[in-house]
Amino acid sequence: MSEAVLSLRNLTKTIGRRNIVDNLTFDIPAGEVFGFLGPNGAGKTTTIRMIVGLISMTKGEAIIKGVSVRSHFELAMTHVGAIVENPEMYKFLTGYQNLVHFARRHNGVTKARIDEVVALLGLQNRIHEKVKRYSLGMRQRLGVAQAILHRPSLLILDEPTNGLDPAGIRELRDYLRKLTKEEGISVIVSSHLLSEMELMCDRVAIIQSGKLVDIRSLQETRDTAQSKIVIETGDMHAAQRLLASAFDSALLSMSNGQLELAAEKSVIPHITKLLVSADIDVLGIHAVQKSLEEQFLEITGGEMVV
Amino acid sequence: MSSLSKLTKNENMKIYRRPRTWLMIGFLLLAVGLMSFLLKWDEKGHDQTDWKQNLTQQNVHMQKQLQENKDLDADDKTRINDTIKLNEYYLDHDLDPSELSLWSYVNISASLIILVTILTVIIAADMIAAEFSWGTIKLLLVGPASRTKIMLSKYIATFSFALLLLLICFATAFAAGGILEGFNGLTQPHVTITDGVIHEGSMIVNALQKYAYSIVSLFMYVTMAFMISSAFRSSSMAIAFSLLFMLVGNSLSGILRGYDWVKYLLFSNIDLTQYLEGSAPLRPEMTMSFSILMLLAYYVVFQLLAWLLFTKRDVAA
Repeated sequence: MSEAVLSLRNLTKTIGRRNIVDNLTFDIPAGEVFGFLGPNGAGKTTTIRMIVGLISMTKGEAIIKGVSVRSHFELAMTHVGAIVENPEMYKFLTGYQNLVHFARRHNGVTKARIDEVVALLGLQNRIHEKVKRYSLGMRQRLGVAQAILHRPSLLILDEPTNGLDPAGIRELRDYLRKLTKEEGISVIVSSHLLSEMELMCDRVAIIQSGKLVDIRSLQETRDTAQSKIVIETGDMHAAQRLLASAFDSALLSMSNGQLELAAEKSVIPHITKLLVSADIDVLGIHAVQKSLEEQFLEITGGEMVV
Repeated sequence: MSSLSKLTKNENMKIYRRPRTWLMIGFLLLAVGLMSFLLKWDEKGHDQTDWKQNLTQQNVHMQKQLQENKDLDADDKTRINDTIKLNEYYLDHDLDPSELSLWSYVNISASLIILVTILTVIIAADMIAAEFSWGTIKLLLVGPASRTKIMLSKYIATFSFALLLLLICFATAFAAGGILEGFNGLTQPHVTITDGVIHEGSMIVNALQKYAYSIVSLFMYVTMAFMISSAFRSSSMAIAFSLLFMLVGNSLSGILRGYDWVKYLLFSNIDLTQYLEGSAPLRPEMTMSFSILMLLAYYVVFQLLAWLLFTKRDVAA
């Protein structure tokens, strides 16, 4: 396993007597798109803001590329690019002036690098316009540009899609994918939108009430997901009787006028034969994977994630 | 890691790329211009051909007063004697004291430093609070620069702006004076009298002194506004409170001058000209060194509070 880009050690934030973030400890390896997932108020944003120094840590430590954020903030931040919610830019400056502003904070961001990033995000046509005339999607792109100017090893995005329309979300996702591929950046994303995380992330940490519930790889989750078979026929009652005799009746259920059978795809031909030979009209049979949403609802104890 | 000079460059960019800043500079130019015009216009009303005769008459009148009026106290006597001596000096050197010179314009421009102070206070109050209002504070703080460094760069940028306004104020008044009265008054001495002896001082030193006293209050008010800016996270609130304190503070300490504790207020100490000859301090027990100590104490408290408020608070919203 490669060196961790980010390590959290007992990271805790206490406000009043409540632990908003409670003893988070985990590592994020390099080269991954890592998601923080949890219901609203679970502590995702607080965790991210502690990592980037916007919120002080009550206890514990965040270590970026071996550098402690608490004791060597400036050095640790040279490895980080961040977008915190909708990136608010200086509206009275042009896009280019905004980039110059953020470039000046880092050593060695050349004019050529700024132009390169502008081209990478397809902003070259309007970069010299004032930001107040930009659409939200363009501002979001400028935000990404600002975050990657100094070639960070870690990109941190806090609720990056808040307020973006579906096209904007898709655009952002495409840029992120491009960046991880072309610049080899690790990305941390927080969101409460599960569908979005599903498309973006390699792994997710599920956080609830400030505590880490689980870390899982989305690929594995997909592979091990239980599937079910949805059957629609002309005579549902006859079909139900028939299948109850052929399978364990506990696996069978009826919902929305459709029969659902918890089983693998491979039994579909067998079911079809059964139904056809019993002279029941088959309107449709298909396999459905249990959605991630359903799985996560199970993990978070039914609390709504979306 | 960010260098302080580059951060300051950023802050300067954010000041001078806003149209508002140029409006302020334009406003200051206009104010200096208007003041010069009024000064010149006012002078035209006086007849100056017989100023020598006037001074001579004035002296004769005062001599008479000295001799006839026996119940004059010592202070009045020295004051009248000094005036007579000064008048004689003017007559000897063929120097009309009421005639305007370029220095009259520069000296009177010192009274416009209150305007410079107001404008800089607006900029200072906006310096930190605006980043919160705009929402840009998050991206500003998430970078390889400590909050202390960011704050320092903002403070430096604010005072460079104040310095710029002061230079503009001085230079335009100088230019206006030169254009309206000619630059030949440049070498004119600043005439004062102490203990019955005439001194010829330098006009520029005198003008700079006038500026220096006003700069003390500028410095304090701007530092106060800067602290208020880091306390309030909305720029309109910060600007409103800074201006309120600045404008109400002076009259407040005037109204409360009967109380002993009023001498510990910032506003009672901010005007150091109260210790110059010819004016009385707000309370009799106050001295120049007391006020300077008080101002220093306030300065340290303001800076410390601003620093704590800016560096220790969480940026959550």
